Amino acid sequence: MTKLIIDPVTRIEGHLRIETEIAGGKVTAAYSSGEMFRGFEQIMSGRDPLDAPIITQRICGVCPVSHAIASTSCLEDALKLQVPANGHLLKNLILGANYLQSHIMHFYQLSALDFLDVEAILAYNGNEPALRELKGWVEGELKSNHILPAAPFLPRISGKYPANHQWNTRLLKHYLEALEIRRESHKMAAIFGGKIPHVASVIPGGVTSGAGVGSIEDFRGRLRTIRRFIENSYLPDVMATAKQFPQYLKAGRGVQNFLSFGVFQEQNSLWLPGGTVTQGKFVPLDIDKISEDIGFSRYTNDSGGHPSNSKTQPEPHKANAYSWIKAPRYDNQSFEVGPLARMTVAYHADVQPVRERLDALLHEVGGKLSDLPSVFGRHATRALEASLVAERMENWLDNLVPGAISVANYTPSQEGRGVGLTEAPRGALGHWIEFKAGKITHYQCLVPSTWNFSPRDSYKRPGPVETAIEGAQVNETDRGLEVVRIVRSFDPCIACAVH
Amino acid sequence: MNIDRRTFLKDASILLAGMSLAPALQPGFAEALETLASGRAPLLWLQGLSCSGCSVSLINSESPGPADLITRYLSLYFHQTLSAATGKVAMETLSKAIDQGGYILAVEGAVPSGMPEACMIGEKSFNDLLLESARKAQAVVSVGTCASFGGIPAAPPNPTGALSVAEFFTKHKLNIPLINLPGCPAHPGWIVGNLAYLLKVGIPEVDDHKRPIKTYGKLLHDQCQNFAQYQKMNFVVTPGEEGCLFKLGCQGVITHADCPMRGWNGGINWCVKANAPCAGCARPEFARDKNFAFYRLNEQKNLENGG
Repeated sequence: MTKLIIDPVTRIEGHLRIETEIAGGKVTAAYSSGEMFRGFEQIMSGRDPLDAPIITQRICGVCPVSHAIASTSCLEDALKLQVPANGHLLKNLILGANYLQSHIMHFYQLSALDFLDVEAILAYNGNEPALRELKGWVEGELKSNHILPAAPFLPRISGKYPANHQWNTRLLKHYLEALEIRRESHKMAAIFGGKIPHVASVIPGGVTSGAGVGSIEDFRGRLRTIRRFIENSYLPDVMATAKQFPQYLKAGRGVQNFLSFGVFQEQNSLWLPGGTVTQGKFVPLDIDKISEDIGFSRYTNDSGGHPSNSKTQPEPHKANAYSWIKAPRYDNQSFEVGPLARMTVAYHADVQPVRERLDALLHEVGGKLSDLPSVFGRHATRALEASLVAERMENWLDNLVPGAISVANYTPSQEGRGVGLTEAPRGALGHWIEFKAGKITHYQCLVPSTWNFSPRDSYKRPGPVETAIEGAQVNETDRGLEVVRIVRSFDPCIACAVH
Repeated sequence: MNIDRRTFLKDASILLAGMSLAPALQPGFAEALETLASGRAPLLWLQGLSCSGCSVSLINSESPGPADLITRYLSLYFHQTLSAATGKVAMETLSKAIDQGGYILAVEGAVPSGMPEACMIGEKSFNDLLLESARKAQAVVSVGTCASFGGIPAAPPNPTGALSVAEFFTKHKLNIPLINLPGCPAHPGWIVGNLAYLLKVGIPEVDDHKRPIKTYGKLLHDQCQNFAQYQKMNFVVTPGEEGCLFKLGCQGVITHADCPMRGWNGGINWCVKANAPCAGCARPEFARDKNFAFYRLNEQKNLENGG
């Protein structure tokens, strides 16, 4: 048995360590460790309830909008605020804009360097100005005496990178374009959000910016550009990975239990529904079945339980604990969350056009529904979701009433309790609040990467990522390329997972 | 222009003196200086108790755009969110950069001074890695409010004993040229503009909080688009209305930043323009006082009386 430790896992959000045990060319055990703790829940205690959306957004600079929405939702629940129609539409649009930047950045900036050979640019003979410039730069760097030539693109871990020149240069070109497209998505979010990362306008009761004819069309113009990129580059690139790397339709299966809290409020229902899917069967959500275990997490033994009444007391030197991430379980099982879970739940809940588009996607690669729990399936459902959300955003823009009220009248209350559930780009997100005498007495966040990157629970049942890595075929001479491809397919966000 | 190595090193030392950076301590500096002289900043970027928001903000840079920033302006030795290097290769990359020294060290996030286990990178504590890399840096740039002043991680009860980078250096008697670029996150224009200044001119003029005066010299309120509304005492009482947000809790009157002039995300918008009070995210005291709420909507009397 050999050990392969990948620490730090880079090109993700935050501080993650993955430790694996390998025997006979296969991973026999994997351990996922969140390596950074700040203590947001303790910091929330004693504050004005309206501080919550401003503070909790700062849990994460990649998905702040989701925290803003979970946090404002739990306050709307506690204060019985009725968000006006424009308020919900604006929240959907800001959140949708951030989904697009997050998904696009995840595939190109965070994942693509595992699936392309950067050095292929040296053999580039085409006329694309951006690629010729990149080639000149890499050539110059490699000839220089810089200690780290062509950083941050080199060095990289050894392993088998694809030899297909066209594929490599196409993906590199899109890497560069994606930098600008994801920035454009953020501009879209700022039109109604004020600024981003960390939006200003999302408050309990709605969105302060309102919507005018000009801002609606400004938003729409940018959305069109982004949609063209998704349809012409992002989705086709991800689909092509199925041909370039057929092994990833099988690798990284995971627990195959899927959970979604549901997201994007439309009138009286959520566009993407909440629920769970186990063995292909849809079951409505029951949040009483959630419990966080801290058997191997660096918290005191009384820190587990249901987030509505649990606490988070750090114990950095706890024996046997190997992560700052808690181990959430649903009905005592590990559940995977994220785009794959959202699309799977929507598919089995018969949501159109999810069902139709997912069937078409699988048909295109000659795959089955059972191939979706895989590295390819996670990237593919993420790209498909980007396409579907971007399309839906046009409807939300159409439904906005220019100049109409977008924030409910605020009615203060000295005490209350509430829960706010939503879906971040990376999966199910919940905030629980309780306040008395005008001050927060309890705050807990249950975050997507907490589900996915959870360590073992007290019964030694591994978390979803740990399960997905176990059984992976690895080349013992490489330094973890196979493993990180599986890990990154979950789009880790560790600042979120621990908070 | 071809210059021999001796001339280069002589010029470089003059360049360094002009930049009021730390004296070259290592012979290995030459390569870093050549990078500097070629117009690119050798940059090492570390993340501590952070949310990566300042990194995301960096690549929101409008002009120069993110691709040019990475290839033409910076020599980005290591960045946890962008580097291809992962695992052992990442740690080797870091060691290589630190061994050579001479880079500008950008730090994002606060320092868990009271609980080193709260941030670990490759089996090293972030605290140790920060000291090790700072000792070999030309200058340190604290990016964002967490690195500059402690920010939210240092808010009470400060569970990890979080400190700002400057406080942590003082505690460890480390004296190194340092500037603070607060903001939650720091605006890409603040980061890129000050890195360019550092590269082309030297350490910018700073105030008592080590903030560049050009960026943080003016009160937000004095530049605000709603200043006239403030003078007319047209105050917003219900969120979503237009007017001066002072009585909702706007901290523009105590926050130093150029948001009203610069705008965010390519100048498209900023908090107050979106009818949201300034949260004071660039203030040294941002989020630190539990009794100083961002919104004053729960102060019933205050609003009923119109202030």
